[in-house]
Amino acid sequence: MTISWLQAALLALFACLSSMPGLGGSSIGNYTLGRPLVGGLVCGIILGDIPTGIMVGCAMQVIYIALVTPGGTVSADVRAVSYIGIPLAMVAISSYGLDASSAEGTALATSFGAMVGTLGTVLFYGTATINLLWQHIGWKAVEKREYKKLYLVDMGLPWISHLICSFLPTLVMCKLGANVVELIKTALPMDGIAMKTLFTVGSLLPCVGIAILLKQIVKKATDFIPFFFGFVLASSMGVNLVGATIIAAMFAVMNYKIKMLQIAKPAAATGTFDDDEEEI
Amino acid sequence: MEKKLSKKALLKSFHNWYYGHLTCFSQEHMQTFGYLCAMLPLVEELYDDEDKKAEAMNTYTAFFNTEPQLGTVVVGITAGLEEARANDEDGVNDETINGLRAGLMGPVAGIGDSLVVGTVIPILLGIALGMSTGGSPLGAIFYIIVWNLFAYFGMKFLYFKGYQLGGKAVEFLVGAQGEAIRDSVSVLGGMVIGAVAATWVSVKTSFVLYNDAGEAYLKLQDKFDEVLPGSLTAAFVMLCWFLMAKKKLSPVKVMLLLVVVAFVGVLVGFFDPGLAY
Repeated sequence: MTISWLQAALLALFACLSSMPGLGGSSIGNYTLGRPLVGGLVCGIILGDIPTGIMVGCAMQVIYIALVTPGGTVSADVRAVSYIGIPLAMVAISSYGLDASSAEGTALATSFGAMVGTLGTVLFYGTATINLLWQHIGWKAVEKREYKKLYLVDMGLPWISHLICSFLPTLVMCKLGANVVELIKTALPMDGIAMKTLFTVGSLLPCVGIAILLKQIVKKATDFIPFFFGFVLASSMGVNLVGATIIAAMFAVMNYKIKMLQIAKPAAATGTFDDDEEEI
Repeated sequence: MEKKLSKKALLKSFHNWYYGHLTCFSQEHMQTFGYLCAMLPLVEELYDDEDKKAEAMNTYTAFFNTEPQLGTVVVGITAGLEEARANDEDGVNDETINGLRAGLMGPVAGIGDSLVVGTVIPILLGIALGMSTGGSPLGAIFYIIVWNLFAYFGMKFLYFKGYQLGGKAVEFLVGAQGEAIRDSVSVLGGMVIGAVAATWVSVKTSFVLYNDAGEAYLKLQDKFDEVLPGSLTAAFVMLCWFLMAKKKLSPVKVMLLLVVVAFVGVLVGFFDPGLAY
């Protein structure tokens, strides 16, 4: 599998739209196009192999399933994961002759994605820094009361930041990265210790993604129980994800009703108390 | 005559926020410019006087950053407040508006990060992953449609609720009923994530002990699976959680640590991805 300049340019355009301070707006950009699962579909369409794109995207999605960016600090950059990591992983998988749905295929994809995603944070800070220039123009406009200029500052000029920090890096990495993948392939044999480590890392990394989510949800020890309940549903009982979600929804509804009863109860108690007083 | 914001101006303001809240992000001002663009259509409609316009716009040059989806409610509330200020309502000025904005952005970011980014999106992605088996694009399409409808109409709802109810709009977020909803959604999220972990994460050991005759008498992976299928995966998830939640390591550091664990594991024969040409 090779990537042409046109394909690389299309991937680079999606990188501009999808990144965290992105041009697609956060709902359509970051939270839709930036998710590796969606990125997998887009890359699959551009590179002409949708099933491989989706499988690679799924593998990477698990690591970044809860990519929260509190206060604008990022631990991975979605444009790099989805539009540099996925295309290169697809190239690597086909060049190594792996099956994208096999354990080896997903392990290769995840280690690729995490590596690119972590390095990609440079792009995030780069974009945000260049935006300072436009904001400087913005403050001048506010001073001079040329408010219409704010639209240009907020929605127009950041395209230039993205040309530098999203478009060009993605274009170059996707076009030249394919050759690098070939180089790595000849330099590091599959049964060597380096590749074994790489593949093992790939299978371990999704644990971090799940753990980041748990950190959000778990406030006390009993909060682990829903997690393990879901885990057992899938691992021991073989329920699939859609099925597990429906079962989970049932429990969520029960939980909500119990909580609401608890809220209603004290109010009702005071109500009867008042009634008693009136009778006296 | 009392000034009233037109539906058109409100919609324009909402769309400016919906699209532009993060487009010109910097570490220094974050969502401030998005906020300015969201308020501009309202200010232009409310005030004819240039000085008053300037006074109003200056209010929103103050720093703003929150979780943008849920944070739409704050923009809606300030739309209502700005209208009140234009009608010279008592006690609505620079200070009250910015005090409210500054007071709300923290809690809204906290709830939004855990509810939207930490729960709703992972649940949708979890379902979508389940629909993607064999490389089917169905899951991705499902996610694109459901998330975008949810985000657009949810944010629109929040904006107009904020505009109509003012400060009361946040009560349903932080109040008892809001608490009950969030708690229930996190139960749902926890279970779906558990299922995602069991389905999509697979940590396996290749550690085997042989007897003198060369027969394997202990396959460690089988022992783990006898306790609970996938228990090694669960153990690694717990380890990562422990390192991040209790030892306060950053995700990147945990990832680097896993590289070391993988390297040592491969050396001692605990891990072997079983690669071959």
